[in-house]
Amino acid sequence: MILIVTIVSKEYLVNLIRIAKLRGIFVAQQNIKLRAEKLSFYYGPAQALYDIDLEVESNSVMALIGPSGCGKSTFLRCINRMNDIIPNVRAEGDLKIDDESIFKPNFDVTQLRRNVGMVFQKSNPFPKSIFENIAYGLKINGVRDRYHIEKTVEESLKRTALWDEVKDRLDDSAMSLSGGQQQRLCIARTIAVEPKIILMDEPASALDPISTQKIEELILDLKKNYTIVIVTHNMQQAARVSDYTAFFFMGKLIEVNKTEVIFTKPEKQMTENYITGKFG
Amino acid sequence: MTTHLELELQDLTRKIMEMADVAIESVEESVESLKNIDVKLAERVIQKDSVLDKLEIHIDEECSRILVTKQPAAADLRLIIAILKSNTDLERIGDLATNIARETIRLEGKSLLKPLIDIPRMAELCVSMIKMAFRAILERDIDAAKSCISIDKQVDELNMQINRELFAFMMEKPTTMTQAFGLIMVAKALERIGDHATNIAERAVYFIEGQDIRHQE
Repeated sequence: MILIVTIVSKEYLVNLIRIAKLRGIFVAQQNIKLRAEKLSFYYGPAQALYDIDLEVESNSVMALIGPSGCGKSTFLRCINRMNDIIPNVRAEGDLKIDDESIFKPNFDVTQLRRNVGMVFQKSNPFPKSIFENIAYGLKINGVRDRYHIEKTVEESLKRTALWDEVKDRLDDSAMSLSGGQQQRLCIARTIAVEPKIILMDEPASALDPISTQKIEELILDLKKNYTIVIVTHNMQQAARVSDYTAFFFMGKLIEVNKTEVIFTKPEKQMTENYITGKFG
Repeated sequence: MTTHLELELQDLTRKIMEMADVAIESVEESVESLKNIDVKLAERVIQKDSVLDKLEIHIDEECSRILVTKQPAAADLRLIIAILKSNTDLERIGDLATNIARETIRLEGKSLLKPLIDIPRMAELCVSMIKMAFRAILERDIDAAKSCISIDKQVDELNMQINRELFAFMMEKPTTMTQAFGLIMVAKALERIGDHATNIAERAVYFIEGQDIRHQE
């Protein structure tokens, strides 16, 4: 009797989860790569983030949207502790990657930045050859095997769809590439060291539409292997590339949900006003 | 400040309302033509169908244009989806009114089996349903949408009742077969019009609340 009840309730539970998934209801995710818990952040006396609770699933793209100064870039820079280089900053609460706090004492920040790659708005290749730009990260990580380095350079360039464009001029300066190519080179450089998470701060806002499309295609390809958090001012871009979207306003996380929900039926009026262009 | 998108959406809403008015007129006039076997009025209804066809194409084009150029989101996006789908329903309502008008033309020179009571009653209900569905969209009035959906049952019941009555006529007097069958088709057309009005009301609910309430029974 007990056995039957157990089987029935298990099936019932499985069905419930299936229905919830079908209906797009947010089911508690098993595989959380990044978790912010009551994260607050201060620049001196000014509070920039207020009690942010946010989870980012593995192999997904999370878009952070919101008007300028809303805290989305500050949040992004907390993830690889890049804010540490600014004087008088302070964080409260916690941020965990694979359930490990990145704020715990003696935490290896260098290792963190190896695990969390970052791509900026303005492409910033090193003033070196195309090959060296990608090989550099491997070399400072102690890789000496020439064959391994060459193979990784080629693979990284292939994964960023740059290989065919540059394979005959790997020794040329990276500065000779176009803006869009430079940005893809920076992404190739980031993935060469196999990070867990890639942060992107408006990676396509300085690019033409064709280069933008290539970057967006790349983001969709990269999520198979990485977890991506992207800050964008371009709402359509957020809708196109992300699985989840988080809306920030004045340092607070107003709403986070599946991207399709945020862009068709957001829960909060403030989110609706922002994405329909009524303020921002 | 009214944005360009808001102005475009206001204009689009005005156009679908215009189309709804034409469709309502067609339904009213088609049944009126049948009641009085007024062939001229019936022909006018048939001619009017091309107006609805053109409006359907125009509104479709407007919706695609706004989707592409303004990339609306949230309630704005839902409004366009609701209009895009209601557009098809209105065009179908126009076609069904045309079917009723053709029945009038078939009856030219003949008299009705009996004065029509339930068919005009059905038409009145259908017209009020269409009006409620569009008021729901125009004024974001969820109650209007729900009232519209609830009236559909009455339309269905009237259809059944008309069918029973006309079957009795046919059994009693087989010579009435042709006309009775034609009137059954008219009732069926009105019943379909009620279904289309329900569809529009369901889209109004989707627009207002973001809930898809179709196929829930």
